[in-house]
Order: sequence, then C-alpha cells, then structure tokens
Amino acid sequence: MKEDLMDIICCPLDKHDLDLEVDERDDEEVLAGSLVCTECGESYPIEDGIPNLLPPDMREDAPA
Amino acid sequence: MKGQEWYQTDDVAEEYDSKRFSRGGQLIDRREKEAVLDAIGPVDDKSVLEVACGTGRFTAMLADRGADIVGLDISGPMLSQGREKAKSAGVDDHVEFMRGDAARLPFPDDHFDTVVAMRFFHLADTPASFLAEMRRVSKHQVFFDTFNRFSLRSLYNWALPMGSRLYSRWEVDRLLDGAGLELAGEAHDFVLPYGFYRKIPNDLASGFRSIDEVVGASPVGDKVASVSYWDTRV
Repeated sequence: MKEDLMDIICCPLDKHDLDLEVDERDDEEVLAGSLVCTECGESYPIEDGIPNLLPPDMREDAPA
Repeated sequence: MKGQEWYQTDDVAEEYDSKRFSRGGQLIDRREKEAVLDAIGPVDDKSVLEVACGTGRFTAMLADRGADIVGLDISGPMLSQGREKAKSAGVDDHVEFMRGDAARLPFPDDHFDTVVAMRFFHLADTPASFLAEMRRVSKHQVFFDTFNRFSLRSLYNWALPMGSRLYSRWEVDRLLDGAGLELAGEAHDFVLPYGFYRKIPNDLASGFRSIDEVVGASPVGDKVASVSYWDTRV
C-alpha cells in the first residue's frame, strides 16, 4: 500500500483513525507492517503490500 | 456466505479469470465492463471503491481510465491476482487493494464519488446490510448487478459450488428502499445466462448473443433477462 492511503482508511470497527507502523518498504509502498487503531488499539496487518482490514473475527486465525 | 470460502483458495483465484472469461465468457466480460462504464463513466479523477473486486477486472479497467480507485475483497489470493494485473497494466500508482469486510468497510461516511459491486450480491447472505454499508461510504452513486430469479439461470443456479442468490424485481426495490437509495437507471440483459456462454467457443457465442439481443430487445426481454444492472443515487 502507498502511504497516502492513510488519508482515507479507518478502523472497520469504530471508524477511528489508524496509525501506520512500517516493517518493510520499497521506493513506492509499504510492503509489511501494521495499522493500529488510535481508539480501540486493534492492530491490522499489512502483508505483501496488501493491508488486511478484515475485522479480527473474520481473520483466518479467528476461532470458528 | 459460501463464496467467502470458495474464493479464498489459491487455485480458484489463479484460475478465476481464465475459467470465467475465456471462450464465450469474453463476451460477458465485455458486456459487464460496458455496463459499468455506461453507468459510472467518465471516471477521470473520480474516487471509486469497488467492493468484492476479486481479481480486479473492473478495478484495473477503471484505473486505466483515470479513476482513483480502491479495490476491496475478502480474499487474499484474489487480491494478489488483482495487484499483478494492475502492475502489468501500469496503473498501480492510482490503485490500492485491501482485504476487508463489505459489511464493515474501513472508510468514513460519504467518502467516495461512486461505489461499485459487480457479481457480489448473488453471494451476499445479508444483502440489506451490505447495500446500506455501500451507501454509507458513497456520497453520490452506488452501482451493482443482480442475477434474476425468473430467468434461465434458475435452471443451473442451484448446482453452483459457491452458492448463488437470485433476486426478483420486488426484492431489489425493497433493498433500495431499505438502504435509502434512488434508482437512476437500470439495464437488463442475458436472456441466455452466463453459464451457457462460458461453455461454448467464442465464434459460436457471438451467434447466440445476436439471438439473445433480439429477444432481449423484445417486449418480454427485460422480464426474462438473467442479469440486471442497477444504477442508484444516494
């Protein structure tokens, strides 16, 4: 994801702003890292350049 | 919803475009893209969200025409295909792909000029909540398609592995009412359903498509069409 995406995305649960934590980037975009909600603290991973903004109950590791 | 699992596997995602849009499917692809452009074009500098963008067929096309676009899908493997498609088309500087839940979109209210969802509502188990959420993040337009209950699609629809929901006109009207959307335009097409075109070679498909268009243009055409495109306003 490109960093200016931060201007439009928000937490899917409470719609508050997100903070970006970068683990890996190239010239154009953030490849790995996380997006953390400034209100509820929920963390959303960025993997292979694709932010995963699925709410926690819908992630693969969520209990069925 | 069943599509949620079906489209998550890598092999389904990798084969998705070639399985659906080769042979007679090319003609479906063209018609769908035309439906989207007719309703939402010109898109130059418009901000657009595509919900359930899958492999990014429309996301990449709209980016290519100048839209500033976000493609959202539940499936990581489908999005990886989309990212590749946008990169090879050279449009990746104004496209973003992300995973998300269509019922809980990670955007503020009234953000996008246009929100599009193609081939999504047939997979939706709670369509009213999805449509309301699409409306929430749009400030102007919501465009989507449905597969119709009273059409030839009902002959094979029950056998599809991803599950597929059919809609009557009455159900669509009720959905729009519930979401607070006004109908601004509609189009109905494909008396012969998608499943038929996918099975036949391209040169045969165009012959059947001509017959399809004649029946479609007749007085009964709209009533027996298998696909409807709905252009709505907030």
